[in-house]
Amino acid sequence: MIEKNVRCPKCHEIVSFSGEPGERITVTCPKCGAQGKVTFEKLTTDKDFAIEVSHLKKVYGNLIAVNDISFSIKKGDVFAFLGPNGAGKTTTVEMIESIRIPTAGMIKILSKDIRTNFDDVKNDIGVLPQEFHSFERLTVKETLVYFSNLYKKQANVDEIIEAMDLKGNQNQLYTNLSGGLKQRVGVAIALVNDPEIIFLDEPTTGLDPKARREVWNVIAGLKKKGKTIFLTTHYMEEAEYLADHIAIIHKGKIIAEGSLDELLNRYGKGKILYIKRLKTKNVKELLQQKGFEVTSEENGDIAVRITYKEHVIEVLSALRHDCIDYGSIDIKRSNLEEVFLHLTGSKLGEVAS
Amino acid sequence: MRLKVIASDFKVNIKAWSRSKGTLFWTLAFPVMLILIFGAIFSGVGEVEYELDVQDLDDSEMSHEFIKILEETGVIKVINVSVNEDIMSYIEENNIKRLLVIPEKYGEVIISSFGTNATVDLLFYFDQSEQSSNQVIRSVISNVIQSMNMELSHGRDIIKIEDIPTITEDFDFIDFFIPGMIGFTIMQTCIYGSIERNTKYRKYGILRKLLTTPITRAEWIFSKMLFMMFLSFLSSVIIILVGILVWGITITVDPLMITLMIITISATSFLFSGMGMLIGRFVKEEETADTAGGAISFPMMFLAGTFFPLDQMPEFLQEFARILPLYYVNEGLRNAMIYANQSEALLNSFIVIIFASIFFLAGVLLTKWNED
Repeated sequence: MIEKNVRCPKCHEIVSFSGEPGERITVTCPKCGAQGKVTFEKLTTDKDFAIEVSHLKKVYGNLIAVNDISFSIKKGDVFAFLGPNGAGKTTTVEMIESIRIPTAGMIKILSKDIRTNFDDVKNDIGVLPQEFHSFERLTVKETLVYFSNLYKKQANVDEIIEAMDLKGNQNQLYTNLSGGLKQRVGVAIALVNDPEIIFLDEPTTGLDPKARREVWNVIAGLKKKGKTIFLTTHYMEEAEYLADHIAIIHKGKIIAEGSLDELLNRYGKGKILYIKRLKTKNVKELLQQKGFEVTSEENGDIAVRITYKEHVIEVLSALRHDCIDYGSIDIKRSNLEEVFLHLTGSKLGEVAS
Repeated sequence: MRLKVIASDFKVNIKAWSRSKGTLFWTLAFPVMLILIFGAIFSGVGEVEYELDVQDLDDSEMSHEFIKILEETGVIKVINVSVNEDIMSYIEENNIKRLLVIPEKYGEVIISSFGTNATVDLLFYFDQSEQSSNQVIRSVISNVIQSMNMELSHGRDIIKIEDIPTITEDFDFIDFFIPGMIGFTIMQTCIYGSIERNTKYRKYGILRKLLTTPITRAEWIFSKMLFMMFLSFLSSVIIILVGILVWGITITVDPLMITLMIITISATSFLFSGMGMLIGRFVKEEETADTAGGAISFPMMFLAGTFFPLDQMPEFLQEFARILPLYYVNEGLRNAMIYANQSEALLNSFIVIIFASIFFLAGVLLTKWNED
């Protein structure tokens, strides 16, 4: 039997249910009586995980940079490690890459303990370090050939160049490339050994929005090929756009973890219906009387929480019933920024490193 | 260690190096430029008056007259050597480059020459290594002799000149300078090359990246040292060639000496690569590390007898020079290349090897390969 906590979509009460792995059962909310279905995930085995981290800790003097964190990454997933600068993202990923030595904890890559098997593991991973800058006076192709020569298992360099859309730049010196191209070369370098797992440490930091999109497309392409990707980022959009699974790290601790939907449902405000330019006053009271949750009201605009899609029609019908006219409507889903704000009390971009 | 990885890494180093105009300049053109400039400054080009030591054993009116004529040429400044001096030891002790001996009975022979066939030989001792200025002086002396012979006997060679080559410890400046230049260039190349690899590569994440690839530390160090030695030998060969072609230096061609030279050059590459690693280890910012490299290498360059002999420096600086590794590099190369002084060459190359072992081992052991 496994236990699962579920938030009731109607009354937002968090309720605990238990069931067998793989089972899907119908449940009733003990508070409001609403009915719904709960699925219990199949138990995953060791072999399903690309990376397993348990009780990982890194201490520098008085500073606990990474504080007893544990997580697992399923094969083929894009795992986003999201957090502000200085949260411990790079320290964690560099411990997994064996660049830093953990103070405590255990790391397994493809079921192999990296403390004893890292030389072996090196062939299964491809790494783009943070702020990576390759040899300035080598061309793109020479760079890839150089790194490829370090491995026993080598991917075809020309194919990587093709796949990364670097063909037109392959004979350019690295130092003459734009920031976006440099990052693409960085990702390409991480692929020279055709790795199972790819680590990308802040691959889009410092890039303009267009270059960022290009790198995202590259990452999405890698996911399609079935690669497991460990992505660290402080951009929520990046995690939202790319990740199957997100862990939010703050001050060295993982404060939330799950799929985007799970995180939004658990910590976000859900979906919000914005009704703008209302022609009538006291709409808030009216809607509240009818059992809707109004999250804000200002300057004739009103925001109502939508927990299931029928809510939208119900709200609009209520307005129509009372002949209340309005300018426009808009439905917004909450985002990770909100989740982060909810969890830490501060905005992601505002947290000092 | 896998040869393929080392070869690939080595090749990449050469490629990147040959594409950087800056490094090409500092490793190849700069030393050549220095040799040309310093050579021109110090090798006596433009010297207008040459000193000539003269021992007048005759001490007669005739010999005084001869000396007077020499001085009147305006090219020669005569320095009188006491008749009691033993010539060979005088030359050796005072590093005399040329010396003229007027024999006893010089005046007598000239006076009696009107009736007889008697001749007198002036002895011209000269240092073979000092070719250019000695040629000037010798031609001045023979001109004087010729015109005297003309006057005395209408052309019969009464006064003749006998050449006696000597070898003194004091070589030309350029002979001194070339080995120093080699030592200095290797020092600069290896210190800065090593600093670059330990600061820039760290900052750029290249070292972190390499830690996640199968290249081993030994392979990485080995190929870097291969590259540093390649640069060291390349600059040495170029410097020696310029020395031979432009300044006419002669280097010792002897299997043992050449072996000692090669050993010293190799050990020097290790020595200063190790020193660069240590600088890069403790001064992490690239620019600061370069400055630190300069702060260590430049004073060493001046104090270790690279450009001028130690005995031109105050006593305490001479003592200080003896703790500088570059001093032994310079001396080792000089003794092997130029002086052919076997025992000194052996001793100095041995000291260089000891310095190299200490610095290189310390560099490798203290370099932080992993991040904190």
